[in-house]
Amino acid sequence: MTTSALRRGSPAAETRRERRRREQLEERTAQIPVKLYGLRPWTAPLLTGLAVLFAIFTLVPILWIIINSTKTQANVFQSFGFWFARPFEFFHNFSLLFQNVDGDGTYIRWFGNTALYAVLGGIGATALAAFGGYGFARFRFRGSRATFYLVIAALLVPISAITLPLYLVYAKVHLINSIWGMVLPSMVSPVGLYLMRTYVQVSVPRELIDAARIDGAGEVRIFFRVAIPLMVPGLMTVLLISIVGVWNNYFLPLIIFSQNNLFPLTVGMGLWSQHATTSGDNNLYPLIVMGGLVTIVPLIGLFLILQRYWKSGLLLGSIAN
Amino acid sequence: MSETAVRAPQHGPPGKAAAARPSAHTGWATRRDRRGIAFITPFLIAFILFIVVPLGYAVYTSLYTSRIIGGTVFTGASNYTSVLGSGLFWSGVIRVAIFGAIQITVMLIIAFFFATLFDLGVIKAGRTFRAIFFIPFAVPIVVAALMWGFMLEPQYGPVTHLASALGAGNVNFFSSGLMLPSIIVIVIWEWTGYNMVILYTALRSVPRDVVEAAILDDAPLWKIILRVKLPLVRPAIVMLVFLNVIGASQLFVEPLILSNYQAGVITDNYTPTLYILNTAISGAQYNLAAAMAVILGVIVIIISVGALLFRRRRGELSS
Repeated sequence: MTTSALRRGSPAAETRRERRRREQLEERTAQIPVKLYGLRPWTAPLLTGLAVLFAIFTLVPILWIIINSTKTQANVFQSFGFWFARPFEFFHNFSLLFQNVDGDGTYIRWFGNTALYAVLGGIGATALAAFGGYGFARFRFRGSRATFYLVIAALLVPISAITLPLYLVYAKVHLINSIWGMVLPSMVSPVGLYLMRTYVQVSVPRELIDAARIDGAGEVRIFFRVAIPLMVPGLMTVLLISIVGVWNNYFLPLIIFSQNNLFPLTVGMGLWSQHATTSGDNNLYPLIVMGGLVTIVPLIGLFLILQRYWKSGLLLGSIAN
Repeated sequence: MSETAVRAPQHGPPGKAAAARPSAHTGWATRRDRRGIAFITPFLIAFILFIVVPLGYAVYTSLYTSRIIGGTVFTGASNYTSVLGSGLFWSGVIRVAIFGAIQITVMLIIAFFFATLFDLGVIKAGRTFRAIFFIPFAVPIVVAALMWGFMLEPQYGPVTHLASALGAGNVNFFSSGLMLPSIIVIVIWEWTGYNMVILYTALRSVPRDVVEAAILDDAPLWKIILRVKLPLVRPAIVMLVFLNVIGASQLFVEPLILSNYQAGVITDNYTPTLYILNTAISGAQYNLAAAMAVILGVIVIIISVGALLFRRRRGELSS
């Protein structure tokens, strides 16, 4: 029914250039000309200077990790940290990622694990949040409000109060050292549910759903054909937040995995940094630096690719209340 | 509209409820609304299995004690009394409270400051700056702590070298006095951009005419920011304070990683979460650790609910 018409009007149908031009235009018309604020001539340069300073503060560690990924272990310590030093070992360091250097495990394996956990957990969390958010936003039944607030209240519970007992329960149901022990809890995202509910309330009009009902469409069909296409920016935000959440997760994998070949990156690299200092292992530091760099790159890439989605999605946070 | 009228409520209170909530949708048959339960069921099952059940188990297990002789026995509140009377636990709580108070305040001031500047368009290339500021959000905390650990390391760290080159002498950023400030800087680095982007999006939704009116009144820039913009984004700020308090209460990755660079400063009980982890994993005292986790949760809930009540009361007074 109306879905094709909706899709035509949605940003997806625009070409990239059209979209960029439209966004720039919107931004410019929404902006009050700076002249009107009656600033003194030095104010704007001064404030820009402050922003530059903070940008430097933000970029310094990134710069450090890029520079030091090219160094030998000796140079990581002995040469000046914010400049390059010979020999240029970038490719050698990179090749270390594919080797089991000190017997703890191979970086690339951990990378694969992290990606697997993040993708499964992220997709699962987004799907559950999409169904649930739509259910809470567009249906009103006995106890729906109370249930929703109960879920939100769970945000206040510290991770340790959930993760630790989870470990004890896992020991009983044989989920220690199982990837499902990691993936399944990652699928529960109260924040994701909250964001999806808000997003549906804002962007899926009741009138549209009612119209589809009058046309005789079933609820499931309405959800997939009418609601989902309108929820895409929200879905992308939740997907991104959940993936980052799993990618970052440290506590849960730290206590439920004892087999090194199941570790995600965070646990593996934490282990390396521990061993590097205690055993003085020869080649662990370049490995940690290069590993850190390779851990960051996919996420930054993901953010840049999905930028236009999560930007509008993050707005949800501010609509809160 | 007529369709709604035809399907007037079959069960449920007619007339009165509809009048109380003047919405066309209250008229829908409740049977249809009950189908919403099917939509939320998958989430609820996962929620119960992976949040409610573990939480319940934490409370349950915290009431028991395992002894080498005699096995696990019910000991009631004894784990709780020993945690509440533990100076080690409370010193961690106080440390995290100091950490949170400073880190959250400084971070939100920086985030709000830049968010307003970008929103007002005072700074050119705001788009680029926003993207740069947001980068740390994509850096896993473990990796962030590792990078900063290398940079601040007392012997080889380039920042330490820079500090001594600038005449600060031999600074040890990981000494017992400077460890917490260093962690504060690291956490500010990690989260300012994220908070800034949320505040920025909130500021974008402030109606343009409100600001224009202030300009016509010849209000200076700082007044527009503090008197016009700030009150309008207060809900977003409150939400960020909540999220950041919860985050700060769970601080443990940064100290855990940094303890690899400087032995001795990060004690087992440096933060409550670290203490829970150490009690459970190295100490194998799961029951005691569970009691700590429950108490930590209760503290966070008391702070949050207290803040909410305080805000509500103030809101009533001012209106």
